[in-house]
Amino acid sequence: MKTLQPYFLVCLLCITCATLAAQSRALCNPNATPATQQVYQILCNQYGHKTISGTVARVDWNIDEAEHVHAWTGQYPALNVFDFINIHASKDVNPNGWLDYSDMSVVTDWWNNGGLVGCMWHWQVRANNGVNYTCSPGNEPGETDFDPACIQDPQSDDYRQLLHDIDQVAGYLKTMQEKGIVVIWRPLHEASGNTFEYDGGKAWFWWGAKGGEAFKALWRFLYNRMVHHHGLNNLIWVWNSQMGDNSWYPGDDVVDVVARDSYYALQYPLYKEFIQLQKDYPTKLIALAECGTGDEVNMSLFTDIWQQGSRWSWLMTWYDYHCDRATGEHQFAGRDWWVNAMQSGYMIDRTQMQQLLQSAAL
Amino acid sequence: MKQYILFFFALISCMSMAVERTILIGPKTIGRGWKDNIVLEARHFATAKAGDILTVYYDQAKRTAQGAFQDPDTWKGIAPQYNYFSLNGPFQLLITDTLLPVLQTRGVAISGHDYRILQATLTDKEDWQETIVWRGPSVQMSSDWSVNAELPGSCFRDLRLGDGLRLHISRAKDDATTKLMDVTWNAIEPAAEGIPVGGDQHTYYLRDEAALIRIALGGTGMNTALRIGGKNYRLDKVGIVRFVGEYSEDLSQAQRAPKEYILQPDELFHGEKAFPLDWRGNLRVSAEKLQNATENDVLIISYQSFPADEMNGRPPVISFRENRGSWPDLSGSQEPNWIPLDGNDIVLTFDSLSLDKVKTRGFVICGMGFTLTRVQIIRAE
Repeated sequence: MKTLQPYFLVCLLCITCATLAAQSRALCNPNATPATQQVYQILCNQYGHKTISGTVARVDWNIDEAEHVHAWTGQYPALNVFDFINIHASKDVNPNGWLDYSDMSVVTDWWNNGGLVGCMWHWQVRANNGVNYTCSPGNEPGETDFDPACIQDPQSDDYRQLLHDIDQVAGYLKTMQEKGIVVIWRPLHEASGNTFEYDGGKAWFWWGAKGGEAFKALWRFLYNRMVHHHGLNNLIWVWNSQMGDNSWYPGDDVVDVVARDSYYALQYPLYKEFIQLQKDYPTKLIALAECGTGDEVNMSLFTDIWQQGSRWSWLMTWYDYHCDRATGEHQFAGRDWWVNAMQSGYMIDRTQMQQLLQSAAL
Repeated sequence: MKQYILFFFALISCMSMAVERTILIGPKTIGRGWKDNIVLEARHFATAKAGDILTVYYDQAKRTAQGAFQDPDTWKGIAPQYNYFSLNGPFQLLITDTLLPVLQTRGVAISGHDYRILQATLTDKEDWQETIVWRGPSVQMSSDWSVNAELPGSCFRDLRLGDGLRLHISRAKDDATTKLMDVTWNAIEPAAEGIPVGGDQHTYYLRDEAALIRIALGGTGMNTALRIGGKNYRLDKVGIVRFVGEYSEDLSQAQRAPKEYILQPDELFHGEKAFPLDWRGNLRVSAEKLQNATENDVLIISYQSFPADEMNGRPPVISFRENRGSWPDLSGSQEPNWIPLDGNDIVLTFDSLSLDKVKTRGFVICGMGFTLTRVQIIRAE
């Protein structure tokens, strides 16, 4: 017993730390709806024990990728993430549009079947040529010089567009709130780009192009507009960390989850990044918001990722526009990867999520 | 009569010269991550002329594979339209007056990702027959992709599998892109979704029967059979081109790709990778096979030094770098640690720091004066 004492003390310390961390985790929005709090509680309860499986829509407003996973494994992922990338082409605001974000049936069906709903936003603004829409900052005709610091100048055109776009998206999120749908919300992602990875690195989206302070101010502007002006209390706010960009963190009071994207998704570097994020943001859940096979390497199997020790709250594989479901080939995560993940015993699918939601009376 | 006979023989002689000549024999794997290429030597283009065509045949292409023709001096596209393009069958470089001096001086690098080159050939421009099937009026493709030219089915009565649709264009901007659509506005095949175009023409080869059928849906009359859209160029004419030459069996002048081997589980590289005297050679090794490496493992690097008479008195050297940023030395030193090569294999050991680096991002081999033949990891029991 005497020899076991140090181990006992260490275990006790770990349990105490874990308990304290869990207790200190709370949604940043104190007025979050009960459903939002319960979904967040489910995320917290599963964190470290199992990873929640996720897919992203094929570009914008569908569950095509989730259908691939279902065809390959017989199981749906637990989370489907939609992208507001094409709001300018939504039929409710554009008679010539090709999709309709105001038609919520795909989201509602997913939620009613026990799936978690995520939303992200490749926020496209007018390109410099006045015709196209883009996220890419720059002075070329196809890029945009849209200034994230326009929030300081309410008379500017950029400010008016900014507000217009936020309010349009807020409208869709409000409809979801009215339907009781909780949204894992990841706006303004990958803001710092590769600024801190090497000399000459830079932001690749306009919302990061003017540096960390402008980005943080924009994040808070967005948060205030959505939460306090529009009364959106169904959002779990996810901030996307890039390598070495702690100074871009908007703050504990406006962030619920810290996420990382990786297309060099090997088990060892993923583990290192996970541990570093846990250390940097001890009171936040840590998620792998985007992942998949990249230019240089195949993504590690999920069992290897798990075995190495990175226990992401959820992960979401990216979409392959031309995926051939029959062959199982996929640019980012194909049939073999998903079969391994779903059979690992450490991944939550939609059926399991439905049970968790039902047990929380949702 | 004698004149006729002479003319006849002259004609036969010309026809027999009209051949497709192999200048590169593969296979050469162009793997992932834009790190592989092969430079076609300048000598192949010594007698080439504007209008001749370089064709690259390949297999094992992934759906997302892309090709590129690069200037070996800058490693950028030899012309904007050759920076990158999707693969839909053998791909080609049209030799122009502008490109000819580059090819005759430096050759051209075939690059891209996710396919395997089988061979490359050169054909005379006379071997290609073109029939103009659409003469406009010219259509200016605006930057918002909203404009397209509608070509009736009558243009394509004689279209066959293997033929090329040659788009004669003008006013092409650097980001000019074309899209070939059927009558229902869908791309005739995924590779036709967005094709970079430049110069004054682009030829799109129909290698897929499904694409041919999509065009045939428009019939052979005046109904629209093909829509040609895109952005930032003007479409002036469309022709159908067909190869009418013959294939030469003579491989005596062909360049042979370096040997390739199927990698064994303990091999990170196996082949022939030259590190020339101009320091141009490097090899990036990803972290994928190093995920379970330990400090007790070692890397064995095998090579063959260049002959001494090619070295101008300089010793061959090698260095190992981090695969990030400006490739700092794996040892942690600011300056590259150049290891002289004495002919024996290099044995690379790890400490905790270097092991962490290679497991995180892999590493890069740099140097000059040798041909790398193998990189192997020996795992400690």
